[in-house]
Formats: sequence, structure tokens, C-alpha cells
Amino acid sequence: MVTHEEILKIAKLAKLSVSADELVQLTKDMSEIIGFADTINAVSPENSDFDNINHLSNVFRDDVVAPSFDSGEILKNAPEQEDGYFLVKKRA
Amino acid sequence: MTNYELVSGLETHIELATKTKIFCSCSTEFGGEPNTHCCPVCIGLPGTLPKLNRRVVEYAILAGLATNCEISPVSKMDRKNYVYPDLPKAYQISQYDMPLCKNGWIELSNGRKIRITRIHIEEDAGKLVHQRGNTFVDYNRGGVPLIEIVSEPDIRSIDEAREYLEKLQTIMRFIGISDCRMQEGSMRCDVNISVRPAGSEALGTRTEIKNMNSFAHMTKAMDYELNRQIDLLESGEKIVQETRRYNEETECTEGMRGKEDANDYRYFREPDLVTIRVSAEEVAALKAELPELPGARMKRYTGELGLPEADAQQLARSRRIAEFFEAAADGVKNPKAAANCIIGQMFSRLSTEAEKEAFDVAITPEQLRELVMLLDAGKIRMNLVKSTLEKMLDTGKSAKEFISESDMAGLDEDALKAACEQAIAANPNAAADYLGGKEKALKAILGGVMKATRGRADAVKAEQLLIQLIKK
Ligand SMILES: [Zn+2]
Repeated sequence: MVTHEEILKIAKLAKLSVSADELVQLTKDMSEIIGFADTINAVSPENSDFDNINHLSNVFRDDVVAPSFDSGEILKNAPEQEDGYFLVKKRA
Repeated sequence: MTNYELVSGLETHIELATKTKIFCSCSTEFGGEPNTHCCPVCIGLPGTLPKLNRRVVEYAILAGLATNCEISPVSKMDRKNYVYPDLPKAYQISQYDMPLCKNGWIELSNGRKIRITRIHIEEDAGKLVHQRGNTFVDYNRGGVPLIEIVSEPDIRSIDEAREYLEKLQTIMRFIGISDCRMQEGSMRCDVNISVRPAGSEALGTRTEIKNMNSFAHMTKAMDYELNRQIDLLESGEKIVQETRRYNEETECTEGMRGKEDANDYRYFREPDLVTIRVSAEEVAALKAELPELPGARMKRYTGELGLPEADAQQLARSRRIAEFFEAAADGVKNPKAAANCIIGQMFSRLSTEAEKEAFDVAITPEQLRELVMLLDAGKIRMNLVKSTLEKMLDTGKSAKEFISESDMAGLDEDALKAACEQAIAANPNAAADYLGGKEKALKAILGGVMKATRGRADAVKAEQLLIQLIKK
């Protein structure tokens, strides 16, 4: 079950404001969603191949170095850059 | 005043010494120009897929085996969501509820066991440089494989915390999965701390000090935080559960505002990576690869070889030193002599702790063994061992290059007897004086023996032999 306090905390983290009416409705909706997720969680991954439809496990690569990209290429889509770094400007 | 007890647990992050990152083939090499060890996978571009490095799983299992953990037959990767510039994807791929290793322990020198809750694998974040209010981001370190080793809150003193971390460091270096250099960030830890009245079973409210990057900072931060919490309790105030940071300048811990609400990481299964299954055969094969660990070696050195505890500890501090010592002491009568050479003269030539552990020396263990064998056989004395070892370390040459046949010949039983007889013959007055009760006269004759053998005779044996010969 989801409590009102949990809904308010999630709302705060998501920076949303929630009215008293919305709180009641959201709590009910969220409880139903979580309830549905519990159905999925009830299947233990320890004893099933439920985890992916191709029944794949242990897909690995060998520890062999391949050339990386040129830093110019890596920074190409960066909104801002300086001296080879991604630049995150101070927020006003 | 109430007596308080420290209750602490450590979360230790260790960078694995793989050649490539955890999910892509970029190099993990330390340093380099910013953003030059990057590709679309490790900067999180849409449409890219991570692929797990097999060696990361193997190294983490080795870490688990070396710390008495159970290895999970089935585990998986999860997404830990948080928004910060050091994570290009806005989530870190980690393990949440099914870590690769769990339920281990490390034993401290006082016999207490610090339980290890879990060891999981995850990717490191990028490096941030804050300047003039702006943040410069370098993703070279982003995607480097880490293991996080989480202990139970079993630590009861700052000394225990230090020893626990040192033990982890030694073990991980021994098995060769990380260089564990705190100053370079390849080992760092978060410390959970609470206090309670001594004897109480209940746990107090805890705080977490983030990102300790040296042993000195960790002990200072713990000391400060312990006293801060005790002061609060003594003055009737409440401890706030929070994340704190250690300020190196003020040597205090301070609260990190805004972190309290962010502890909801909304973990969920990483859909881009498949299940990890580890068979019993694979675990057995890795176990067979594991070298003998420092604790077991120390026990062997103090037990079988009869070395003092302090020597054993010095020799077991790195795999390189331990293996050098064992090869040098192999089959010798006096392993303590080999230990002394290493801990004394050889260590004194290596200035830093790191150099000592790397133990890059000019001679082979076989050359040291040969020198110790000469001592064993009574062919040379300890003072000649020292001067010869110096020359060997300067040149890389063998002991026999510096010790002539006559040096060695001068010291077997017959040669010693001959030298004693000659010394008596050369100084008949002193012999007569000694017989007449002047004990000091013997010193003059002994001096003759030492001179003739160039200081390589065993003075105690020579003295006994002289008395026998004079009294005859
Ligand atoms: Zn990459």
C-alpha cells in the first residue's frame, strides 16, 4: 500500500505540487500500479528464465582494448565545451 | 559521564585493474587528456548498448572468494537513477538486490571478524572539476569498473576501521585485481558511524561520511565525528541522520545539504544487460587461481618458519615480497636471515611504501638464497653477509663474485683451528699470561685470529677454541 506521505515525498522529488483531492486520487492510482508490479515481482528470477524473452544469460565481451573516439568527436554534441571538457555552466 | 562505543561500517569502492571499461572497449588507463578514453557507450549516447566485460565478473568473484563470500549463482545489473553531471546517462549501472557476492568476512588481528554484507559490480562516474562556479566534466573515468564492498556495522574502534581497510587493500593487491591507491582514487570509502552507550545492543542514529581518500583523513574524520556525536548526546541533543563530508582544511565533518531527499534512487532492472549466471565449476576454477592469501602466509611464517609476528607481517604485505622471500628462504636452515636481509637492508633502499610493496630490486631471490646458504654452511659470518649484500644490490651480481675461496676457506672448522694455533704461536707471552690468570690476555690472541681471518671468524667459537688449545 502506498501512503499519502510517500506520494507527497515523490511529488516533492519530482517538483510537483499536489492538491488534497489529487492526493487521494493519486494514492489510489499509485497503489493499483504498485499492486500490478507486485504480480511481476512474485516471480523469482532465481528459478525462472522470465528475465528476458530470448532466455539469454552471460553475454560478455573479452577484456581487449579498442581505440576510443577522438575527443572532438565525443564533444561534438556538447552544448558547451572548453579545453576538451564538457562544460556545465553555473545555473543562475 | 557515560562510556560510549563506536559502531561503524565501511562501504569501500575499488577500481578493478582490467584493461578496458566495464561496458565498452575504451582503455581504463589513469590520466590522459580529458575525454580521450571515451566512446558513444561510456558517454551514454542514445541507441548504444552496454556489453559486460567478462573479466569484471571474474575479478569480483576473486574478491569475493578472498573475503570468504558466497558467490551468487544468479545475479543481474540494475539502474540507479540520479541526476548529476558526472553521470552522462543520468543513471549508474550497478547491482541492487542480487549482488555477485555476499555474506563474507575479514578477520582482524584481535580475532574479531568484520562481516561483509555484499560485494557488487558497478561503473565509476566521470571526474568533475569545479572552477569559477562552472563544472568541467571529463568522462575518461566514467565506466571504469568498480566493486563496492559493504561491511556490516561490526567495527568498534577507529583502529579496527583502519586495519579492516588495510587488510582489504593488501588482499585485493595480493590477488591482483586492483592497485588500491587511495591518492589516485582507485580505492575510496564511505564510513557509517553511530555511537551508543557501551554495552548497549541498540543502534544509535548514524551519519555517513562520504569519499574518504586517505587513511589519515579517514581516521581524523572518524575521530571528529565520534566526538561530535558524543557531545550532542551528552548535551541532550539529537543526532540527525545525514550524509556528511570531511573538510581537509578545518579537519571537521560538515553536513551536505540537499542530499537527504535524494536517497530515492528508483532502482530497476537494467533492461540492456542479461542475467549473470555463475556455475560451481567456474567458481572452483577461479578458486584454484587464487594465490595463498596474506593471512595464511603470515601464519605459515610464524608457525613453520618461526619468524616473529612483526617480520611475518612485513613479508606478507605484498605478493611480490612474499614470493621473493619464500624463494629466498626455500630449504635454508636460517629463514630469519633471509627475512632480515629483506626487511633491513633491502627495504632501506626503497624509500616509499609503494616502492617497498613493488619490491623492484637488483638481485633475484635465488641470489639471496645462495648468500643465506653460505651463512648456513658456516662459510661466512653475518658481517660479511651485510657487506656482500650491499655489493650485490649495487651491481646485481652474485655473492660468489665478492667472496673469494680463501674468504670462505678461512672459516671452516679446520681453518679456524689453524688460525687459532698460529695466533697462539705468534703470541706465546699472552698465552702464558692467560694461563697465569690474566683473562684479558686472551683478547690479544683473539685479535690475532680476527686479523688473520679478516674479521670473518666467529669470535665466540674462536674464543672457546683458543681456551681449549692454550689449556692443552
Ligand atoms: Zn567507451
